[in-house]
Amino acid sequence: MAGMFNLRNILKGVLPLLLVALFLVFSAGCTGSAESDQNIAGSQAAVEEPSGEITLVYNNGTERTLNYEDLSRLPQKTGWGYAVSTVGIKYGPYKCTGPLLSDIAGIAGGMEDGDMMWVSADDGYMWVFDYEQVNGGGYITLDENLQETKSPELEVILMHTIDGHPLEYNDGAPYRVAIISDRKDIITEGSCWVKWTSKIEIRGEADEKGR
Amino acid sequence: MKRADNLNLLIFALFFTGILIFSSGCTSDSDTPEEKTVLKILPAGSLMLPFEYLEEDYESKNPGIDVQYEGHGSIQCIRQVTDLNRNFDLVVVADSSLIPDMMMRNNPETGENYSDDYTEFATNEIVIAYTDESLYSDEINQENWYEILKRPDVTVGFSNPMLDAAGYRTFMLFQLSGQYYGDDNLIYEIAGDHMKGGITIEKTGKTERIMLPELVQPSDEKLKIRDGSIFLLYLLEGGGVDYAIEYKSVAEGHDLNYIRLPEEINLGNSSMNSIYDNVSVNLGFERFSSIGSERIGRSTIYGWTVPNNADNPDEAEKFAEYMETEFRENRYGWPPAL
Repeated sequence: MAGMFNLRNILKGVLPLLLVALFLVFSAGCTGSAESDQNIAGSQAAVEEPSGEITLVYNNGTERTLNYEDLSRLPQKTGWGYAVSTVGIKYGPYKCTGPLLSDIAGIAGGMEDGDMMWVSADDGYMWVFDYEQVNGGGYITLDENLQETKSPELEVILMHTIDGHPLEYNDGAPYRVAIISDRKDIITEGSCWVKWTSKIEIRGEADEKGR
Repeated sequence: MKRADNLNLLIFALFFTGILIFSSGCTSDSDTPEEKTVLKILPAGSLMLPFEYLEEDYESKNPGIDVQYEGHGSIQCIRQVTDLNRNFDLVVVADSSLIPDMMMRNNPETGENYSDDYTEFATNEIVIAYTDESLYSDEINQENWYEILKRPDVTVGFSNPMLDAAGYRTFMLFQLSGQYYGDDNLIYEIAGDHMKGGITIEKTGKTERIMLPELVQPSDEKLKIRDGSIFLLYLLEGGGVDYAIEYKSVAEGHDLNYIRLPEEINLGNSSMNSIYDNVSVNLGFERFSSIGSERIGRSTIYGWTVPNNADNPDEAEKFAEYMETEFRENRYGWPPAL
């Protein structure tokens, strides 16, 4: 007991100081993850505007390079996009923004029934859309249990903004095809969500047969 | 005095509590449980069911390993390593020939091949899957299956050949069946005549080349073409399609009825490769620049490889040995071991 009393007396003098020091260390050093998160958020906030170019190839073979400024002059659409991989992994839902593929085709003179849009990416991936698909038709839509469900009105965009910020590399930056609707729970097959889109080519029916 | 003692005791307790909190809660980076080795694996979509088991079982036997797998179609699995430059420890595909075609080539970043060897370990075969609710389910058998599938009121599902090996193997199956049963129109009546753009067959010597359009889409209600076989399974279970072309292991894994087909056409017996390679499929476009658009008929063989840029090659080899051992158990719903 006597030892305890001695300890009490020693502690009585220095404890307030120790506690203050402990509090300061604790509050300063214990926020590692939150600080990192803030840094990440800060770096996202620093990137304010999408950037990047795509090549648009007209039906007659003429090529034009489009940058973000060109794309942003087109009417911008925002809606919910939600994709599923071939093995059933769901990605989303995301709030997606970008111009319609049909409006981009419009720069190249537009598409007609029978025309195809070949969309290719920097990583060597390619997907082909027909006229109906470019205009939002002909897609399988699924609910969150991956059961097929009646399709609402769909729009197909070249997404540059996802959940309010420019696409990052893993999202498919700078541009990715997205199928959107006004419903958060509508899922579409992911094969046509072309990431890292770098080229859009309009090919006519007659042209196709000639190739 | 007693009050002062109590106060000192309280301060003492607070001090030690603070020390404990500091030492336990303030060092999240250094004081987490022992870090596990993460084994990153890319299995083909038809292996998802076995991998659910393999992940759990292997982790329970190897507490220091965290198995993380990411399923894709076989070509897409390989592309994660070759085209997307992602580091994985093990790639397991449903068409072993893709590994020499796509990975035994130079990786410009490292100066060495993406992979230098691979191991074949399992096989599979194509079957006609259905449920008790499918039209004519009480009538279909190994002899008349193609006549049933041709009927106008019967719906048929398969996966997109642009996306899934089971999809282009479906067209090989139909054309091999036409040869086997002496019915040149079989592939058209079941599939080609119900597709936008149709199909054409080019004959060169004994080889018949099936030319697919750019866009593989049905033109009427007979065909249901989906991105992956999982969506066909949902359709079958919900009555949205009568018959689906699937791997045998997938049909078993989902407790579906199925018709086994003759070895000459089911793409499941490597001794029949000289028959299978009588047919090939030409895809409407090169979905990936890293692999051509021609697929030649051959038996379904699964293969694995450890990419040369794997972070944990030794652990990957150990897992692959374990995986092979488990496949040799020949469980229902798993592709059988070679």
